[in-house]
Amino acid sequence: MTEDERPPAVEQSGDSEAGSGARGASERGSVPALPARRPRRAPRAVPPFGFVPLAVLAVAFLALPVVALVVRSPWGSLAADLSAPGVLTALRLSLICSLSAVALSLVLGVPLAWLLARVRFRGRNLVRAMVLLPMVLPPVVGGVALLLAFGRHGLVGRWLDAAFGLTLPFTLAGVIVAETFVAMPFLVITVEAGMRAMDRRYEDAAATLGAGRWMTFRRVTLPLIAPAVGAGAALSWARALGEFGATITFAGNMPGSTQTMPLAVYLALQSNPEAAFALSLVMLAISLTVLVALRGRWFPSR
Amino acid sequence: MSLVAEIALRKGELDLRAEVRAAEGVVVLLGPNAAGKTTFLRALAGLVPLEEGRIVLDDVVLDAPRDGVHVPTSRRPIGVVFQDYLLFPHLSALDNVAFGLRARGVGRREARAKAGQWLERVGVGSHAGARPAALSGGQAQRVALARALVTEPRLLLLDEPLAAMDAGARADLRRELSVQLASFQGICVMVTHDPIEALTLGDHLVVLEAGRVVQAGAPSEVASHPRSDYVARLVGLNLYRGAGSGHTVTVAGGERIAVAESIEPAGEVFAVIPPRAVALHRTRPEGSPRNVWAGRVAALEVAGERIRVHVESGLPIVAEVTPAAMAELRLGEGGSVYASVKAVEVEVYQA
Repeated sequence: MTEDERPPAVEQSGDSEAGSGARGASERGSVPALPARRPRRAPRAVPPFGFVPLAVLAVAFLALPVVALVVRSPWGSLAADLSAPGVLTALRLSLICSLSAVALSLVLGVPLAWLLARVRFRGRNLVRAMVLLPMVLPPVVGGVALLLAFGRHGLVGRWLDAAFGLTLPFTLAGVIVAETFVAMPFLVITVEAGMRAMDRRYEDAAATLGAGRWMTFRRVTLPLIAPAVGAGAALSWARALGEFGATITFAGNMPGSTQTMPLAVYLALQSNPEAAFALSLVMLAISLTVLVALRGRWFPSR
Repeated sequence: MSLVAEIALRKGELDLRAEVRAAEGVVVLLGPNAAGKTTFLRALAGLVPLEEGRIVLDDVVLDAPRDGVHVPTSRRPIGVVFQDYLLFPHLSALDNVAFGLRARGVGRREARAKAGQWLERVGVGSHAGARPAALSGGQAQRVALARALVTEPRLLLLDEPLAAMDAGARADLRRELSVQLASFQGICVMVTHDPIEALTLGDHLVVLEAGRVVQAGAPSEVASHPRSDYVARLVGLNLYRGAGSGHTVTVAGGERIAVAESIEPAGEVFAVIPPRAVALHRTRPEGSPRNVWAGRVAALEVAGERIRVHVESGLPIVAEVTPAAMAELRLGEGGSVYASVKAVEVEVYQA
C-alpha cells in the first residue's frame, strides 16, 4: 500500500534473507526449514575483457590512501595528539560552524526545496541551476565570490558594514556563511527529490480532513519526507565540515576564530604532522559515519 | 439538507459535464473506467477546479467559478474515503482518526477519546494502536471510514470503497458500510463500478459514461430499464435500441423483435430481454415463439449454477441455460444454434 523503504529482495541481496530464514527455522526445531526466498540463480553478467583488472586497480587507487591513513596513523599517541592546544579548538570550531551551517541550510533550504518541487514558477530551471552552482564551482572561487558579495567593499557587505557594523570576512560568522554556501545545495537537492517522490495524495487527504497548509506541512509532509531531510542534513553536514577552499579564502585561517579542522590539518602538516594525522583520522571517522547513515538512501542496495 | 452539483470541467482527455441533485441519502455514481466519476468526486471535494457550473451544499455555495467563489478543500464540511484509503503511514490508526478533530482545534485527549469511540463503532477498536501498514485491507477501510466520519461532515464522498477487497471481505464491509450509511445524517456520494454495491447501497443512481450522465433514477428503475449498454451488461440484461411501432421493434441492422404489447406512441424505444427468457435449440424451432434468430455460440460463461451463452447472430443475444441443457444440446463454442424468445418476455420502454 504505502512506500516500502526496504529494497525489494532481488537476486543478489536475497542471499542473506535465505540464510537467516533457514537458520531461524532450524532453531525452532522440528519444523522443516522452507528455503526462505531462495533466489533464482540469475545468469551472471560477463564483463568485457580487461574490465576486471582495471576495476581492481580503481578500487586499489581509491582505497589505498584511506588504508594508509588508518595504518600509518599514530594510534598510540592519538589521545595526546588530539589534546594538543590548537587541535581541540579546531575541532570545536568545526563542529560549531558546520552544525550552524546545517541549521541555516535547513531553515532556508527546505522552503526552497518545497517551492522547487511543487510550484511551477517562471525561471524555475534557472533557479535550480543557481542552486546547483556551488556544488560544481571550485571552492576557492566560491570564496572569492563570497568576498565580492559580503566583503567589506562587497555588493551586500558594504551595506551590512554601514548599517550594522557587521563584517563577515575573517570571522566565525564568515566561516558559517562559507560553509552554508557550499553545503546548502546538497540539502536542497536531496529534499526536493524526497518531495517529488512523496505521494501528494496524502496532502489531499489532509486537506479533506480540514488541515490548513501549515498543519498539513507540519504533520503530514514533513514526517513523510523526514528520511530525505535527514539524508540532506547528513550530506550537507559532511560537506560543511570538510570545506577548505571557500573557508580559507573568505574567512581566513585564524586559530581560535576561523581555523576549522581542514585548515588546521593543512597547517599542522608542516609543524606537527602527528596532530595532522590524528585530525585526519577523526574526519575520516566522521565521513564513514555519514556514509553509513546514508547507506539506504544515497546508494540504494539494488 | 441538499446538494446541487453542476460540474463542467476538462481534465486531460476527459470532458466532464454532469449534474447531480440530491436531498438526502446515498447517491451512487456508476460508470465504466475513465467515465469521470472520480473526477466528479474530486471536484465536489474541491481538489479539482470547475470551469463552469456550481456546487451548493445545504444552501452554502462551495464553488461558483462565474462569481469567483471557490471554498478551499480544508474549509468544506466533507469527509472523503479515497480509493487507496490514504491512511497516514506514520500515524497509528487512532491518530489517523483523530487527525480531523485536531485540525479543527480539538484537544489531543478529547480527539483521541472520540477517535477511539469511532474505531469501536466500526469494529476495529482493538487495532487502535496499529500502524496502517500492519492492518489488513478490511481493517484499513474501516479506519478510513471512521476517519472521514469522525468530523461529522455534511457530505461524505466515497471513491470505490470496496474495490480493493477480495470477495469475502467485500460482503462484510458492504454490511458495515450500509450500517454506517444508515445512521449518517448528511448526503453521501459514492463512486462504484460494482452493481451489487450500486443496487444495495444507493438510494439514487447516476450513470456516468464518457463524462455525461446517461441515466439517473432509483436503483430498481435503472436496473430494470437500462438505457445504455454499460448498465445492461452490468445487470446482465440484453438491451436493444430501435424504432418501435405496432408490435415490432426494428433494430439498426434490420433485425426485428416481436413484442406482445402494442407500442404507443411509435418512436425510438429500448427493448429488454432477460437472458433466462432466451431458449436455445439445435434446429430451427417450430411453435409459439415469435422471435427466432440463427447464430453461432461466441462464448460461454459460468454464472453461479447457470451458463451464460453469448450468441452471435443478426441480433447478438445472451441466453442463460442450465449445464444439463448444455450437455444435452452438445453446445460448444463455434457451434451453430437457434435462439428463441417469446414476444411476451420482451419489455419495451421509451428511449
